[in-house]
Amino acid sequence: MTGAVPPRSWASRLFEPRRLGRQAPATRVLVYAGLLFWTFVVLFPFYWLLVTSLKLPIHVADGPNYLPFVDFTPSPHAWHYIFVEIGRDTFRPYLNSVIIAGASTALAVVVGSMAAYALARIDYRPKLGTIGLFVVALAAVVVAVIAFGVPWQLAAVAGIAVFVFLARALAGRFRRSVGNGDILFWIISQRILPPVVAAIPIYVMFQQLGLLDTHLALILTYMTVNLPIVVWLMYDFFASIPTDLEESAQIDGASRYRIFFDVVLPLAKPGLAATSLLVLVLAWNEYLLALFLSTVDAQTMPLLVSAQNATRGPQWWYMSVLIVIMILPVTAVAVALQKFIARGLLIGAVKG
Amino acid sequence: MRIRLDRLSKSFGAVQVLHELSMTVEPGEFLVLLGPSGCGKTTALRMIAGLETASGGRIFIGERDVTDVLPKYRDVAMVFQSNALYPHKTVAQNIAYPLVLRKTPAAERDRAVREVARQVQLDALLDRYPRQLSGGQRQRVALARAMVRRPAAFLMDEPLSNLDAKLRVHMRSELKHMQHELGVTTVYVTHDQIEAMTLAHRVAILNQGRIQQLGTPREIYNDPENLFVAGFVGSPPMNFLEGAMRNGAFAGPGFGLNTPAAAHAGAAVMGVRPEDCRTVAAGQGRIEAEIYATELTGDHTLVTCRIGEQFAVVKMDKNYEQAIGTPVGIDFDVDHAFFFDAASQGRIRMPTTPAPQSA
Repeated sequence: MTGAVPPRSWASRLFEPRRLGRQAPATRVLVYAGLLFWTFVVLFPFYWLLVTSLKLPIHVADGPNYLPFVDFTPSPHAWHYIFVEIGRDTFRPYLNSVIIAGASTALAVVVGSMAAYALARIDYRPKLGTIGLFVVALAAVVVAVIAFGVPWQLAAVAGIAVFVFLARALAGRFRRSVGNGDILFWIISQRILPPVVAAIPIYVMFQQLGLLDTHLALILTYMTVNLPIVVWLMYDFFASIPTDLEESAQIDGASRYRIFFDVVLPLAKPGLAATSLLVLVLAWNEYLLALFLSTVDAQTMPLLVSAQNATRGPQWWYMSVLIVIMILPVTAVAVALQKFIARGLLIGAVKG
Repeated sequence: MRIRLDRLSKSFGAVQVLHELSMTVEPGEFLVLLGPSGCGKTTALRMIAGLETASGGRIFIGERDVTDVLPKYRDVAMVFQSNALYPHKTVAQNIAYPLVLRKTPAAERDRAVREVARQVQLDALLDRYPRQLSGGQRQRVALARAMVRRPAAFLMDEPLSNLDAKLRVHMRSELKHMQHELGVTTVYVTHDQIEAMTLAHRVAILNQGRIQQLGTPREIYNDPENLFVAGFVGSPPMNFLEGAMRNGAFAGPGFGLNTPAAAHAGAAVMGVRPEDCRTVAAGQGRIEAEIYATELTGDHTLVTCRIGEQFAVVKMDKNYEQAIGTPVGIDFDVDHAFFFDAASQGRIRMPTTPAPQSA
């Protein structure tokens, strides 16, 4: 690596990593100014929230007051209202949010990463004809139940029997098949649909099942909605783990499950941490489906926040308190997971 | 334990990579599968390990037919080209993993790990992680992990190819010594003929999914079965001169050679190794040529000679010096010349000159 350094374009030089300590003082000042400015942009909304939560309605109506004790006298009024006056009504949705977001995230990550691993390691070649057959059988069951009043248990059993029989009989005749890429695209395509389109059918389904306003309904819905994201993200992480490692474990005597839990999951930790965090935040902040599926017992925090915008207009001071306490646990989780979201875990596994 | 392959075939879709491969690896033998990339040697190894299924034929380890047995029940250990160490486990945990999976008691496991770590000189590094090790150390961990459970056979897929040249030579002798000590049947895949010649008890040369020759390194070198083996083994490679054989004589470009009692007639190729040739004054050798280039490699000089439209390399002393373009003669012992059928690429054997056996 001796000899002349090849000339670099100004564009490539612009993106080269450089040590701040080596820069000229003027450059350093500029860099710090930029960083400080961006820190301000990021942190100001938090400050605003905190300040607003300490204001009385009259201060909010007063216009932009930012500095407590200077512009206005802080008051614990809103905090007192949220924690004491309606304390029980705050605590319940808070607990609901924790349960629903936590459980749905855990389920989505476990189920999704297993699905992603399977897709990353096993070649599936489902025949197009078999898939078509399944759709036809499903449609026949639905028609039989709705139009002809066949008991649904009977229809389901008959439908499965017909499908299995025909699939076995005709499998040899089907030629065209789809691969893992198609399955992956089909999974992520679930997210192309705007959720509001699915909201009404989901509502009707849980109504029929008698599960409206329960934790279970929201957990299942959130898990389903977030599964495609988990599968999509984790697929990439699993695909990047060298297969040599798994084959080596296989020869050393490990079963598929052992390989998944002993070798693959520890190496996918950064991906798991990042994916869990993303899915947790999505479930924690979800509003639309919660609005449909919960009323009182399973009400979540986003609904409580929006409920502060009632007949008396938006009550910013109460909202601010709720949002502050809503942000805290997610921030704590993000900080806790930070150390896992580090790269370079695979160094030393294989050469290079 | 003995490993026996019986007409083993493998196809990936329409491409057949192994054609009815049959061979037997004797207990304690070090067998090297040697061949150019894409010849099917790694596929064959992976099939013995159970990482690929057989399209046809059977695999036996000992007396047991393992063709349809999962890798974990075959009792073989494999060393991968990439080491394949578990990066989240320490050296000790890496080595112990096969024993952990076999539910070996912890005390016994610790003893085995220590013992094997001492053998490959890793005792001081047991608490390190793979990322903190050098390439050679990582390779030794991979070896230790394979050795720790005394498998029926070692399978090695180019284990030294990621090391630098100096370390490779060192690890090669370590490997040979270790295999000798342990006496475990070993199948070793490489494309490096030096590795094959130095390590193997026997070498199987593969090309396009077929065994070209199976024999001791000496047999392979001194008595190649066909043109491919003759050209693949040896560095610099054997010289090939095209010509024709008629009435017990080989007619090459501008020279003739008596080949007593050779029954073959038609296009043929003569092969002679560079170290079996020498250059002599013009008019005094068997072949007339002129010097095309000379290359000093250190302990000898490679002289490339032009014979009409063909070229031959002669290995000469390190002090050899001649100007390019000088006419010279090339001389060699007829016993050291090999003849091959140009069409079938097979060896044409001389009934009267017995094939030079191991000296």
